[in-house]
Amino acid sequence: MVFERLKKLLAEQFVIDEDTITMETSFQEDLGADSLDIVELAMAVEEEFDIPELNEEDLPSLVTVGDLTRYISNIID
Amino acid sequence: MKIIVDAMSGDNAPFEIVKGAVMAVTDSGADIILVGKGEEILRCIEKLGMKNIPKGIEIAHTSEIITMEDDPSAVIKEKKDSSMTVALNMLSDGRGEALVSAGNTGALLTGSTLIVKRIRGIRRAALSPVLPEDFGNSIIIDVGANTECTSEYLVQFAYMGASYARNVLDKGNPKIALLNIGTEETKGQPLHRETFKLLKEASSGGMFDFIGNMEGRDILYNKADVIVCDGFSGNILLKTIEGTALYMAEELKGIFTKNIWSKLAAGIVKKDILKLKKRLDYTEVGGSVLIGISKPVIKAHGSSDANAIKNAIGQAIKIARSRFVEEIVESIDNIKAMVENSEKNS
Repeated sequence: MVFERLKKLLAEQFVIDEDTITMETSFQEDLGADSLDIVELAMAVEEEFDIPELNEEDLPSLVTVGDLTRYISNIID
Repeated sequence: MKIIVDAMSGDNAPFEIVKGAVMAVTDSGADIILVGKGEEILRCIEKLGMKNIPKGIEIAHTSEIITMEDDPSAVIKEKKDSSMTVALNMLSDGRGEALVSAGNTGALLTGSTLIVKRIRGIRRAALSPVLPEDFGNSIIIDVGANTECTSEYLVQFAYMGASYARNVLDKGNPKIALLNIGTEETKGQPLHRETFKLLKEASSGGMFDFIGNMEGRDILYNKADVIVCDGFSGNILLKTIEGTALYMAEELKGIFTKNIWSKLAAGIVKKDILKLKKRLDYTEVGGSVLIGISKPVIKAHGSSDANAIKNAIGQAIKIARSRFVEEIVESIDNIKAMVENSEKNS
């Protein structure tokens, strides 16, 4: 469920087809995300999943969509 | 029409900003919200010889200022009560139709992207100055917001630039050029060659007229309405133009003040030189537009005086009254489809 919601969010932000996003999709290498994209994504995730504030120090370790999916699941579970 | 003005940002803030806003209210009849330190703004109004806040001006008090040295992230992190952050939030909340700031460009771009948000479907916002009248009021997109670009970004810049030229600058079928190191299709890095193909393909869709590559030396000859480039090249281009113009002006001044005969010659052509100076004056054209943001944001020059601020506000009013943003919003799906088609066909 988290992955599906995250896919929608990513498709909108990065203007890509939802179906092209997998757990292995890399933010930087596949989506061309820069630092502003990552902050924008973090804010969108906070809003979508009602998370108060993502820990900034954790962001660099979230390389793929799978990493972020697991990270969000851990918080909301 | 209500324009939000960041009163505390820029080298000459707050006095020149407040003065420019007062001039704009008189000129355009628009309402203005000055965002910044209330006491300082009131002192500026008093310095302008006014006892009360002029009609059409409203003050929104904030306690902090984003400086030119601040990290761009300060706008959403450390300085949430800065004039820039509050002004961006006000724009996002619909308390005004457009925003003008002469502050930290990086912070304004970051804040606009994160607070006001990009137009849905637009990958990157771009910074786009309008060249003075003598150069045909062409726009350069981008001059620094995106130092690294893909061909997709550049094609989107072309569409957005065309929309701006059509809706705000009243240019019916805008001519688009791609900044490159030669006019031939095969010139440039892979990014330029790929973008050339995509623009050529997209041009046949009728949204604009792609006239091909353009070299830096042709920029000022009014051959294109929109010059598309990555922010890295665009920034070097813009600053080279500024530097060359300043150098030439100083050299001319030196020549005309050399001796009694040259001073006499200067006297004869003084009127024409002053006219030329006005036609080339950047303060006359307003500021750079953050194209791609969902509401109009104008970045005025950091060293803006009152006249530049007044003109930037005039530009903001013109954009807000136009269908520029709406046209991009309405055609975003077409743009996406055309970019995809162009990629398939090229």
